[in-house]
Amino acid sequence: MNDFAVVLENVLQVLTAGLLVGSIYALMCVGLGLIFGVMRVINFAQGEFLMLGMYATLYAFTGLNLGVMLGSYIGPIVGALIAGVVLYFAGLLMHRYLLTRVTGIRVVGSEGEGHYPQLILTLGVSLILANAGLIFFGSMPQTVRTPLSTTAWEIGPFIGDHVSVFLNKARSVAFLVSVAIAVALYRFIGRTRIGKTLRAAADNPEAATYMGIDVDRAHSIAFALGCAITAVAGGLVATYYPFQPYVGLDFVIIMYAGVVLGGMGSIVGAFWGGLTIGLVQQLSTLVLPVQLQNAAIFVVFLLIVLIRPEGLLGRNVERT
Amino acid sequence: MSGLRHGWGKPLAGIAAFAAAYLVVGLLVQNQYYQLMLTLVLVWAVMGLSWNVFSGYSGLISFGHASFFGLGAYTVTLLLVKFDITPWIGIPIGMVVGVIAGVVIGYPTFRLRGHYFALAMLAYPLALLYIFEWLGYQEVSLPMKREAPAAFMQFADHRVYVALALGLLVLAMLASLWVERSRFGLSLNALKQNEAAAEAAGIDTLAWKLKAIMISGAMAAAAGGFYAVVLLIVTPVTVFGMLTSAQALIVTLFGGVATLWGPVIGSLILIPLAEILHAELGHRIPGIQGVVFGLAIVLVMVLAPEGVLPRIRDRLARRSKPLAAAPQVDGPVAIAAAARRAPAGEVLLRVSNLSRAFGGLRAVQDVSFEVRKGEVLGIIGPNGAGKTTLFNLLNGFIRPDAGEVTFEGERLLGLKPNRICRLGIGRTFQIMRPFPRMTVLDNVLVGAFVSERDDDRAVAAARQALARVGLAARADSLASSLTTVELREMELARALASRPKVALLDETLAGLGSQEIDRLLATINSLASEGLTIVIIEHTMQAMVRLADRFVVLDHGAVLARGKPDEVTRDPKVIEAYLGKKWMANAQH
Amino acid sequence: MLSIEGLNVAYGGLKALVDVSISVGEGKFVAIVGPNGAGKTTLFKAISGVVPPLAGRITFDGQDLLALPAARRAHLGIAHVPEGRQVFKTLTVLENLEMGAVPERGRAEWARNLEQIFTLFPVLNERRDQPAGTLSGGEQQMLAIGRGLASSPRLLMLDEPSMGLAPVLADQIFGRIEEIHRQAGVTVLLVEQRVAEALGSCDYGYVLESGRLVLEGRHETLLADERVKRAYLGM
Repeated sequence: MNDFAVVLENVLQVLTAGLLVGSIYALMCVGLGLIFGVMRVINFAQGEFLMLGMYATLYAFTGLNLGVMLGSYIGPIVGALIAGVVLYFAGLLMHRYLLTRVTGIRVVGSEGEGHYPQLILTLGVSLILANAGLIFFGSMPQTVRTPLSTTAWEIGPFIGDHVSVFLNKARSVAFLVSVAIAVALYRFIGRTRIGKTLRAAADNPEAATYMGIDVDRAHSIAFALGCAITAVAGGLVATYYPFQPYVGLDFVIIMYAGVVLGGMGSIVGAFWGGLTIGLVQQLSTLVLPVQLQNAAIFVVFLLIVLIRPEGLLGRNVERT
Repeated sequence: MSGLRHGWGKPLAGIAAFAAAYLVVGLLVQNQYYQLMLTLVLVWAVMGLSWNVFSGYSGLISFGHASFFGLGAYTVTLLLVKFDITPWIGIPIGMVVGVIAGVVIGYPTFRLRGHYFALAMLAYPLALLYIFEWLGYQEVSLPMKREAPAAFMQFADHRVYVALALGLLVLAMLASLWVERSRFGLSLNALKQNEAAAEAAGIDTLAWKLKAIMISGAMAAAAGGFYAVVLLIVTPVTVFGMLTSAQALIVTLFGGVATLWGPVIGSLILIPLAEILHAELGHRIPGIQGVVFGLAIVLVMVLAPEGVLPRIRDRLARRSKPLAAAPQVDGPVAIAAAARRAPAGEVLLRVSNLSRAFGGLRAVQDVSFEVRKGEVLGIIGPNGAGKTTLFNLLNGFIRPDAGEVTFEGERLLGLKPNRICRLGIGRTFQIMRPFPRMTVLDNVLVGAFVSERDDDRAVAAARQALARVGLAARADSLASSLTTVELREMELARALASRPKVALLDETLAGLGSQEIDRLLATINSLASEGLTIVIIEHTMQAMVRLADRFVVLDHGAVLARGKPDEVTRDPKVIEAYLGKKWMANAQH
Repeated sequence: MLSIEGLNVAYGGLKALVDVSISVGEGKFVAIVGPNGAGKTTLFKAISGVVPPLAGRITFDGQDLLALPAARRAHLGIAHVPEGRQVFKTLTVLENLEMGAVPERGRAEWARNLEQIFTLFPVLNERRDQPAGTLSGGEQQMLAIGRGLASSPRLLMLDEPSMGLAPVLADQIFGRIEEIHRQAGVTVLLVEQRVAEALGSCDYGYVLESGRLVLEGRHETLLADERVKRAYLGM
C-alpha cells in the first residue's frame, strides 16, 4: 500500500506542479503568440524581454518596498505589473525604430524571403539585451523573495495520513494571476475596439488599410503588448525561480514549443500549448534525470515542428 | 558575380597573396596572445565560410551551425581522450561526422519552410548542449602528449597553429570557390531567388540543399575540431552555445553574404575587436563581446543588409560610369509572322478529366484537352477561370484531386516539377524573378543544366537559347539593366535552354505596350515555326488571336469552348462569359 | 470630386497603368470596364494608397491624395470594396461591419447605418454573429459592400462585385448598388468585367485595356461601340 501511496503522491504532485508552472508558461506563450498571430514576426528576443521583466519586477519590488507596503501576496504582483508597463514602452520603441525597418514594404525589394531579416535582427537584439543585462545586473542569481517562495499549502491528506499535495504558495498565486491576465487579454482582443482592429490587421492587412486602420500602429501595439505580457509572466516566475541575465535562453525554447504546439497564429492555442509544455516538463521529472529534462523539451519541440508544424489548434500558416 | 566561364586565376591569386601576407605577419608576431588571436580569426573565418556555403548561397538561414562545430570539437576531443587517436586523424573523422550530421539534420528539416526551418535549426545545437551536459562532458581537456607532441598536433611554438589554420582556411576558400563558380553555386542561387522557378527549370532542389549542408557541416566540424586542439578545452556552452552559431552568422553577414571574401573580412574585423574588448574590459564589463556582436548584427541588418563589403562595392560602382545602355536591338528578323507552320502532328500532351478544388472552391473542373506537336494552343478565359491552377497541375506544383496528365504516353502524376522539366516540359512564370546581380547568360544557364551535364556545353546551350529569342547581344549585361520586354525574352530563353518539347508560357505578354507585344509575338511565332509546341495563357486577346492556332476557353474552371480563334470569339457562350449576359442580349438586337 | 490625372503605375516591373486620367463628379455613377489584366484593380490600389504611382496626380475634393498615407484616406470618406471581397474571415459579420465604421463619420452614424445595411441585406442580420469565413460568396459580397457603407462614405469604390457570383446573384448585387446610389446619393465608382451591367447603370464610363484608356463616354455611346467588344475579345 505504501508504494502505491508514494507513487500516487508523486504523480499528483507532479500534475499540480505541471498545472501551476504550465499556467505561467502559458502566459509567456500568449505574449509570443500575440506577436506572431498579429504580425507574423518571430521575435528571438522574447526570452530577453522575459528576463528584463524579471529584473524590472525585482527592482520595482525592492525599490518601492512593495513587500512591506502591500504584503507578500499583492506586492510581487504589483511589481510584475509595473514591469509589464515598462516593457510595453520598451517594446514600442523596439518596434518603431528597429523592426519597421525590416518588415513591410521596404523588405520586398531585397533578395530572399521577407522574414529572415526579422529573425536575424531580433537575434542581434537578444544578444545585446542578454549581455547588457550581464553588465548592468551582474551574474548573481536573484529572486523576488517573499515568505511565499518557500512555503506551501497542503491539500489532503487523501488516504489516511498519506498522499497530500503541496502547493507552493508563490507558484499558486502566480497561477491565479496568470490565468486572470490571460482571460483579461482574451476579452480585450475579443471585445474591445482596439482588440478587433488588431484581429482585423492580422486577418487581412490590405483590407484593414482600406478600412482606414493603421496597420503599422496595430503592429506596434501588438508587439508592445506581447512583450509586456511576457514580461509580467517573467515577473511572476521571478517569485520562485532564481534568474540571471542569461535566463532567457532557458525559456525561449519553452515559449516557442508552446506556441508551435498550440498552433502559430492562435492565441488560445498558445495558452494551451504553454500549459501542455509545463505538464510535459514536470512529468519528465518522474522519469528523466535533471539534465535531460531540458533536452526533453527540445526533443518535443523538434518532434512537433517536424511532424505537425501546424500544431494542435492552429491554422497552417507556413508560407511557401 | 558567378559564372562558369569566369577564370579561377584572379581569386586563386588573391587567396595565395592573402595567405602569404598572413603567414608573414604570423611569423613576425612574437606575443603568444596575438598569435592566438590570429589563429582564432582564421577559425571563425572558416566557420563563417561554412555557414556561407550553406545559408549564404541557398538563402536558408541556419541559426544552428554550432551543431556541426560542437560535434567536430567533441569528436576530436573524445577520440583523443578515450582512444588516443591523434587529431591529425581525428579532424577528418570529425568532418565525416559533420557530413552525416548534415544529412540527418537536413533531410527532415528541409521539408519545413521559413520560420519553422529557422526555429528547428536553432533547437538542434541547444538540444545537443543539454545532451552532452547530461553525458557528463561538462568540461573535457585535451591531455598533453609529451612523448610525441607533433604527432598529436601539439606545438610549443604557437606560430605552427597559425600556419595550420591558414592551411585550413585556404582549403575552405577553395571549397567555397568551387561551390560558387560551378553549377552548384548557380543552382543554389536559383533556388534562393525563387525555388518554384528553379524546380520548374529542372533543378532538384532537395538534392542541392543536402549537398550544400553536407559540405557546410564538414567545414564547420573541421573548424570545431581545430578549435578544440588550439584551446585544449571543450565545454558544451562554448561549442554548442548560441554565441557560436551567432558568430558564424554575423561574421558572414558583416563581410557580405554569398561572397568568397565576406566571411574572411568579417572575421578579420570583428573577431579581434571582440577579443580585445573582452581582454581589456572583460573584467569590468563582462558580456561586452555579446553586446558588440549583437550591435554588429543590428547595424548590419538596418543599414546594410547584404553586408558591409557589397555595400561599399555598390557605392564605388555607382561612382564609376554606369553601364552604357545597349543599343535597342530590333527583335528577330520578321520572318516568323508570315511563316506557315507545319500542320499539327501527333498528340504530345493529353489532359484527361483533371479536377482540383481548394476548400469549397472548384478551381479546375473535369478539364480535358490535347496538345498536338507543333501547335500553339491558347488557354483563355475570364478572370478566376483557373488557368494558372491548370498550369500548376501540369507542371507538378500541385496534385489534382482527380484526372490524369500524360506526356508522350508517360503519366505525370506525382512527379516533382524538376522531373517533369527533365521529361521535356518547360515553363515561364507570371511574376518574373530574374537574378538581378547576375548576367543574362548566367540567368539562363540554370535552365541548361537539365539538358547538359558538361559545363561548357551548358554554356553553349544557354547562348543558343539566347540567340533564339534575339538576346544574344545582351548575354553579358547584368540582368538589372534589361527592359521589361527583354526580361520576358530572358525568361523565355531560360525555359528554352532545357531544350523542351513543350513550353508552357504563363502570361508572357502581360503589362507590355503594343510595340513590345509585337516584338515578343514575333519571337514566339518564330519559335513555333521552328517546331516548338507551345501552350500559352494570356489575357491580351488582341495578341492571342494573332498567335494561337487553337483556343481552349475556361470559365469557372471548366472548359467552355474550343476551336479556332475566329470560331471561338464568335461563340455566344464565350462572349457572354467575357462581357456578360446583358451584352449578349443587347448584341442580339 | 475625384480627379485622376496622368497616372502611371508600375507593378513589379510591369507597366500596369499608363497615362490614365479619370474624373468622377459628385453624386455621379462612373463605371470602368475592361478585360482582365487591364489595370482596373491597380487603379483602385493607387487611389487607396496601397500601390505608389510613378507619376500623376490624384485629388479628392481638391485635396492631394498622394500626400496622405494609405490608412488616412478612408477617413476622408473613400470606401473601397476590394476585389474578391476580402472580408475579415475570422471576425464575425457584425465585427466586420464595425471595422467598416472606423472613420469618425461612420462611428457617429453607426446606428443609422447599421439599420440601413440590414434593410438592404437582411441576410447579414440573420448571420450577424457568424464568422465571415462561413458565409457564401454572395453573402460575403454583401458584407463587403455593407462594410463599405458603414463608413458613411462620400465615394464608394467597388472592384468587380460580381466576380465569382452566379448571374442571378450578380444582378441582385447590381440592383442594390443602384439603389444605394439613388437613395443615399453616394458617388459610385464601379469597376467591372461585365460590360453591359456596369455601363447600363452608369452616368459615364471608361474602357481600360492593357493599362490604357481606350474609350470613354456616356453609357449609350459605349454600349453601341464595337471597340468595346474588341477590347475584350480581340476581334
